[in-house]
Amino acid sequence: MASSVAALRALIEQRFPDAVPITRGIARPVASGIPEMDRALPKGGFPLGRLSVCAPHGGITAILRAACRNATRDGERAAWVDAGRTIAGAFWNDAALLVRPATLSHAVRAASELLHAGGFRLVVLAGAELAAPQVARLVRAAHEGGGAFVLLTEHSSMAALRLSARIAPEAYRWDHDPFGGPAHVRDVQLDIHVRALGWNARARFPLPVQSHELRLALESGLADRRGLPRTRLRAP
Amino acid sequence: MLWADGHGLDARALARKTLQLIRDRGTTDARAAVAGTPVAAELAVVFGVVGERGVAVVAPGTDRAFTALFPIEALDPAPRLAPLLAALGITTCGDLAALSHESVEVRLGAEGVALWRLARADDRRLIFSPAPRELPHASLDWTDYALKDPERLLFSINALLTRVCGALMADGRGAHELTLTFSLTDRGTHLELLRASRPTANQRTWVRLVRAVLERIRLPAAVTGVALHASRVAARDAQQGDLFDRGFTTTGAAEDAVARIIEDQGEHAVVAPDNSAHPLLDERTTWTPRSPRSPQAAHTGGEVREARPACAAPAALTLQLSPVPRAITVETAPRRDHMMPVRYRDGGEWHDIAQAAGPDRVSGGAWDPDHLHAREYFRCVTREGVLVWLFRDANAGAWYLHGWWD
Repeated sequence: MASSVAALRALIEQRFPDAVPITRGIARPVASGIPEMDRALPKGGFPLGRLSVCAPHGGITAILRAACRNATRDGERAAWVDAGRTIAGAFWNDAALLVRPATLSHAVRAASELLHAGGFRLVVLAGAELAAPQVARLVRAAHEGGGAFVLLTEHSSMAALRLSARIAPEAYRWDHDPFGGPAHVRDVQLDIHVRALGWNARARFPLPVQSHELRLALESGLADRRGLPRTRLRAP
Repeated sequence: MLWADGHGLDARALARKTLQLIRDRGTTDARAAVAGTPVAAELAVVFGVVGERGVAVVAPGTDRAFTALFPIEALDPAPRLAPLLAALGITTCGDLAALSHESVEVRLGAEGVALWRLARADDRRLIFSPAPRELPHASLDWTDYALKDPERLLFSINALLTRVCGALMADGRGAHELTLTFSLTDRGTHLELLRASRPTANQRTWVRLVRAVLERIRLPAAVTGVALHASRVAARDAQQGDLFDRGFTTTGAAEDAVARIIEDQGEHAVVAPDNSAHPLLDERTTWTPRSPRSPQAAHTGGEVREARPACAAPAALTLQLSPVPRAITVETAPRRDHMMPVRYRDGGEWHDIAQAAGPDRVSGGAWDPDHLHAREYFRCVTREGVLVWLFRDANAGAWYLHGWWD
């Protein structure tokens, strides 16, 4: 019985390679570069030629930007379509291509072009709630181009991989001020849940929180000298 | 001595006609010779036996045998070589040609080698430089109407580009510069130069440049004709790279995709941040357009592929900014010298705050009333676990949601 099931599965994989669950695909997926995260992803990364859906918030942006950096570090290309225009320029030093479309339709067209070209190993579309036909168009483009497509959205029925992340309020680790209150966030624990056909995995790992480096000078041209130690003159 | 290039022509007929022309002008003792190499032709016309109608012909493929018969003095050797050649017993070109290259080089030096080559009818002189190839061009004229509409002009120019780019691609070349000439109804012409950052035969790239020109220029009269001419061409960039390097092999496709996005949505669709030192994050960044081949991308041949960072930043939650600070309603509680937010309402929904750090006070612009700002920022963790960035505008007393970490 087991051998006949295995034979049937092999036949299906041969006749319908696109219908094979991503856990059995042979193409090397796009890793995030975070070891605990990659262990939770089937085959160690986001699948190529398929749609992966990530629920916004919970540290997902950090994970996906790490995946983009990982792809470019390997000599490939990655693109981030910032439909919501939420990427802060002061904290964007990534090598990925950044596209800031003006409208939702522009975002869909840009993502479609990037996916269809086949030159981008990872394309992330963030800040866009798409209708089903738009998602279908992008899934088709990803399939033709062969790159991994990640969509940040709450809902999608065409995803090969679904990922959600959650941060508990008590998971933030703070440095405290002299009064015992929170002063600076050091890092945070992320709880990740990954689901795909034949796959269900969880992971927990810490990520640092990047300082926003707020400049507290009174004027932009003046240096902020508050907090610098005073020099003491020795008594003769 | 007059040289004529008979390659591809009936050289004998050409020589006869040329001789006749010269004789018609009074030089009755002119002679002509036809050979495959300049040295054989020179020897034939100076020393050779004049054949039919005053033209000496060296049969094709017999230049060396023909040259071998002549005394070595016919090649006018350098004075230094003459006694050396006599001492070696070399009296004819054939004697010298029979020696090996190494023996000539050792005994007679570089001058001897040059003489040896001529004795073998191995003449490397370029009497005529290669004829320059005609650069691709195309033109279109119409008489029944005159065009002013840029879209219709673009349609016509696109047809010309198809021919020019096709010719460039067939030659394996790309154009650095195209010259676009408009013929106008006032009998004048208008010239525009289109320049690409690198030699390319990509029609889409040139269409984009043409469209940019048509959006910019103002013609004094309507157009009755357009001519397109490749004024500077070069061999297309052929980058060395690893065919198994997927980034290298997909460079062209990636650049085309980015170029299409820019054509479709404008140059501000694909951007990179240019950050100043402004204390307010929402005013710190200017987004500058990136071309498909911007210098930031140092891929092989591709300005889309990015250079590998020297040390990649580790994964971290970074601040995401709301495009415009969102006005919210906040309930506060006193804490030491300030009011601390305890919950806020955004989009009709209340969010309780578990922890709040701050305030971080930012103020400035005192000398410019339009840019006066005074803000108290708080980093707050909501009960949903989201780290949000709120601020109170100290001038107006209003609260805003500026961003969140993700």
